Amino acid sequence: MKKLLIAGTIVTLVLAGFVSLFASASPDGLESVLLTGCDTSEGEITGGTCVLQSAGEHEIGGAFADYGMSFLDNEILGASLAGILGVLLTLGVATGLFWLLARGKKPAEDRA
Amino acid sequence: MEDLALHIPTDVIDGPTSLVTALIAAIAVAWCTVAARRGLDERLVPLAGLATAFIFAAQMLNFPIAAGVSGHLLGGALAAALLGPWLGALCVTVVIVIQALLFADGAVTALGLNVANMALIATFTAYGVIALALKVLPRTRWGLGAAVFAASIVSVVAASAGFVLQFWVGGEPVGQSFGAIAGAILGTHVLVGIGEGVITAGAVTAVAVARPDLVHALRGTPLAQPAPAVKEAS
Repeated sequence: MKKLLIAGTIVTLVLAGFVSLFASASPDGLESVLLTGCDTSEGEITGGTCVLQSAGEHEIGGAFADYGMSFLDNEILGASLAGILGVLLTLGVATGLFWLLARGKKPAEDRA
Repeated sequence: MEDLALHIPTDVIDGPTSLVTALIAAIAVAWCTVAARRGLDERLVPLAGLATAFIFAAQMLNFPIAAGVSGHLLGGALAAALLGPWLGALCVTVVIVIQALLFADGAVTALGLNVANMALIATFTAYGVIALALKVLPRTRWGLGAAVFAASIVSVVAASAGFVLQFWVGGEPVGQSFGAIAGAILGTHVLVGIGEGVITAGAVTAVAVARPDLVHALRGTPLAQPAPAVKEAS
């Protein structure tokens, strides 16, 4: 189990911190349909009419908005670190919540 | 560099629809929490945590599906196959909440919509398809892979149908008709689902070969060997 967890964590960190830098920058399935009818240039809507024009700014935004680190000058480094931070945070939050949920439940042979 | 935005943004679906969906999603997630505790023990906790982190990472990996269009894993099929529907839905929920609160991905007001589509609809649909498919398919590596592949496609299209329903109720078609939007959303997500299927089938069969006991969909039974174990000369 330990081996699988360590290997899985390393793979996950590499995916988020490195492989993600090579991911497609095109809008995803949802966004591309909502953008249909608009002209775009470098991710900004420049004309036309489409559903996404009515979309507002994100309510929170924040330093890690759009999987970057707005306080870093280096976008690539920011994207990589944001991915790694996200994985560690997700790992921590999820493990913590599931641990709370499983508290007091020992592995049983006759699990229902 | 283009902003990476993956989920329903602010103001695309109106307030009342978002609120009602959020209430339904909250009740469903609470129900999942109760049901997940029944199948959960301390041994499973680290695996569930890792699966959640893996889904977060995999959602960042947009793959091209057509000219100028990408797709990314939703993770419902992976979570359902490895952890079952209850715990699986909670994993995807955690990912979506973290994305909305910290990474400005998916509006906070659209949290209920995004959780309903990706965490609830996708995960439960995937689980249903896997359970049905494994009744007919052989319990081999390939049978499991095929079941997970099919479940991925159906679950992603079902999740996108959730959006289409929400948009029909609380969205405003601009620049194109509702029918055109619905058709395009469902059509594109067949392609997204194929990508999700390849990744998920690969990941689940890899775990199934190493540790079949950790694959919820196999219910504690090891994979059947299709032939005597002969090392493939690759």
